[in-house]
Amino acid sequence: MDLMKELLRKAEQVEIINLQNETTTVTFEANQLKSCRVAETKGTSVRVVRDGRMGFAASSDERAVTKLASNVLESANYGDQLTFNFPAAQPAAQVRTFDRKIVDLSISRLVEIGREVLDLILPVEPEASVNINLKRSVQSASLKNQTGLDIQFKSSPLAFELEIDRIVGDDVLIIFDIVGTTEWDEDYLGFARQLVKKLKMARILTSMRSGNMPVLFSPSGSLALGLPVKEGLNGKNVYKGTSPMRGKIGEKLFDEKLTMIDDGTLHGRPGSAPYDDEGVPHQRNLLVDKGVLKGFFYDLRTAARFGVTSTGNATRSLFTQPEPASSNFMIQPGNTPLKDMIASIREGILVEGLLGLGQGNIISGAFSNPLALAFKIENGQIVGRVKDLSIAGNVYDLLKNVEAVSQETEWVYASIHAPYILLPQMNVVAKE
Amino acid sequence: MRNKLQEALKLSKADYTEIRIEERESARISYRGKDLENANAVIDKGGVVRCLIRKHGWGVATFNNLDDLKNKVEQAYQCALVARSDSPIALGPIDVLEENIQAVMEHDFRDVSMSAKKALVENYNNILLDSSPKIIDTSAVYVDSFSQIYFANSEGTYIGEERPSVTIATTAIARDGDNVQQSHESFAGPFGFEFVLGREEMARTAARRAVELLNAKSVIGGQYPVVVDPMLAGVFIHEAFGHLSESDFVYENPKAREMMVLGRRFGKDFLNVYDDGTIPGQRGTHRFDDEGTPTRHNDLIKDGILVGRLHSRETAAKMGEIVTGNARAINYRFPPIVRMTNTAIDNGTTLFEDMIKDIKLGIYACDAYGGETMLENFSFSSGHAYMIRDGKIAEMVKDVILSGNLFSTLMNIDAIGNDFRWLTVGGGCGKGEQVPLPVGMGAPHIRIQNVVIGGN
Repeated sequence: MDLMKELLRKAEQVEIINLQNETTTVTFEANQLKSCRVAETKGTSVRVVRDGRMGFAASSDERAVTKLASNVLESANYGDQLTFNFPAAQPAAQVRTFDRKIVDLSISRLVEIGREVLDLILPVEPEASVNINLKRSVQSASLKNQTGLDIQFKSSPLAFELEIDRIVGDDVLIIFDIVGTTEWDEDYLGFARQLVKKLKMARILTSMRSGNMPVLFSPSGSLALGLPVKEGLNGKNVYKGTSPMRGKIGEKLFDEKLTMIDDGTLHGRPGSAPYDDEGVPHQRNLLVDKGVLKGFFYDLRTAARFGVTSTGNATRSLFTQPEPASSNFMIQPGNTPLKDMIASIREGILVEGLLGLGQGNIISGAFSNPLALAFKIENGQIVGRVKDLSIAGNVYDLLKNVEAVSQETEWVYASIHAPYILLPQMNVVAKE
Repeated sequence: MRNKLQEALKLSKADYTEIRIEERESARISYRGKDLENANAVIDKGGVVRCLIRKHGWGVATFNNLDDLKNKVEQAYQCALVARSDSPIALGPIDVLEENIQAVMEHDFRDVSMSAKKALVENYNNILLDSSPKIIDTSAVYVDSFSQIYFANSEGTYIGEERPSVTIATTAIARDGDNVQQSHESFAGPFGFEFVLGREEMARTAARRAVELLNAKSVIGGQYPVVVDPMLAGVFIHEAFGHLSESDFVYENPKAREMMVLGRRFGKDFLNVYDDGTIPGQRGTHRFDDEGTPTRHNDLIKDGILVGRLHSRETAAKMGEIVTGNARAINYRFPPIVRMTNTAIDNGTTLFEDMIKDIKLGIYACDAYGGETMLENFSFSSGHAYMIRDGKIAEMVKDVILSGNLFSTLMNIDAIGNDFRWLTVGGGCGKGEQVPLPVGMGAPHIRIQNVVIGGN
């Protein structure tokens, strides 16, 4: 059965996406190889608009096409009455997302790479318990709709999810990060070397009293500031009414040193592609410009609810309908070299990581977390690691006044690009 | 299918290989407030190969494409090859068997139209919405799922099994100014459409209780004698004790191993706890687990003493104990791990009235609203509760959180009711990524002395 033809007999609009993915995961737990797994998924996801209502169905059984067709038409009876159109073909950026070198990595080579990471970390930190999830995926998708749009896409993401726990007595040090790429890098261990540097710095302990002081967030620490804003910029949260930025386009909400964009066209990033998952081209979306809110990110449906065009941020998986998500979320670098930012601090802290990051009601902008890794800065120098501190605040207040933003930036959590951000004053609480 | 699986198994170079295929069709309808959120059907078909190389370890490959089983077996074998084991991995022995198990449904939900299913949910949702002006939001969800499972291993076992499942769940959210309360009632089981019909009382109860909770005062924190209803008791024994009986967890965790020593006293002589995968009509029941081991009644605590634990074939061999039939996988995307089936505190002899009549000041805690356990420490929120004053059930209270240490809590159980029942609720058990796995839970009322109750 030609599914498109069959559905067009009964529906005005039809979108068919075929998704295929093979992911090899090598898992190390507590410094030991725990398991190795290959997961292949393949299926078809369909949407139709019939009599002005949207239907959705999906199947991973390539033989059950008739049932899939009847399921999607049936579901249209109960679907949203929505007016948006599946997009016609538009030119899209060339984006590099596939590297044969990654695809050809054998299972034993992947295991070897995992061991190389352990071999970098354990000599420096023999008491650490390291968990690594190394994932290599080969993904392909083909999307067609009734306008004649017919696009194919393939991607080869390689990702490391890394957690280093070092618990000695009641001294708890936890470092977590996700590193990803779709282009093989000869310096693939670079991220592990950076982590080792942080671990070495963490050896020297010092102490700190509670107080108000400047707080310097490293790119990984700045997730505490960036994640709530990213959630707030998501069109679906604006529509739900939970985003504090609803209705504020054009207003200056943040310090003018802050500019934030979403860009799905960057080469070599797991979050990048020429098109989004509805066939709308990825583009560079200016969300916050020098502190002024310029816009949110949408998929077709949320954009239609606001009467604007999709920003190309639709994400979907086989059994779920598209939803807006950020592709690559970038807080732009600033003008100040990091060394100058550190040199300017008489007494303050450098925040590298927070415990429970992202948990709780972060959409409101509020966060309150113990610090997983932080350093004391005294008279312009990093003098040692400090423990048992917590910070709390609301990003919508805190980011109104930013002392400096660094020129240096890093990728964190694979799809967020952030600089160092210095806030002039925060209340830091030390456990007595 | 059988030939296909057996041919692929023959080609495996591993010491042990198994293949499990699942073909599943599922429908889901959900209402949120006045809106129909979803009315969709899903078709999901796939499989998992597990290979064991004794000197190395396990390799797993999952897939949707059934046409290339040979290649999947090879991939699983390659995965196993990279593992290293300190000592050769053995599997507890089981019989080779062939079985075909068919589902029995009075009213096969696959024959029910989407519009009839929608009408059912809409009806329950309207009951929630219409029951009181104070109800400001609702959730009503219907899910059905029918799976055909095929299992074959390199020892020669072949099992076909049909697994039906149906769930109806309702939540009512009531508001009075800033005071927001919610209550939840659900039914789920391995049945057909008949199981979700005629459940109007379920929706009325959820709505009524949400409104009642608006007027309930927050409980005053402190230590109390607490009578726990079968719902909360069932969830408690599952979460606070059941997971500690899962041998894969015990084996890898030295602290857990120290705690869970067979022969250790866990409770008074009249405390009996078991896990039984054979109970008819329960959500955790299957004739065989997902390794082909027959399920059975497993005593965990007998006369207050720890006498057993739950195993997969691997953990049984590792710990020198017998297989128990507790290796389960939530679907074809995962290999089986040690899970509970239907876990219960066995029936006792005390009448509920006798349990409360001597309590001057205590709490009657009902229903469970989530909780947390960290080894032997636990914390649970009860859905709703009542004060017990002078031997009688008194006013409703809210924000009742029970927390404590498993051992002292079990030892403090001083009365076990004679009103055992199996729960029929929805939801499921979570372990790692495999959530929600259908499980059964059961208990009578139980009375526990000296429970620490945290208020709001």
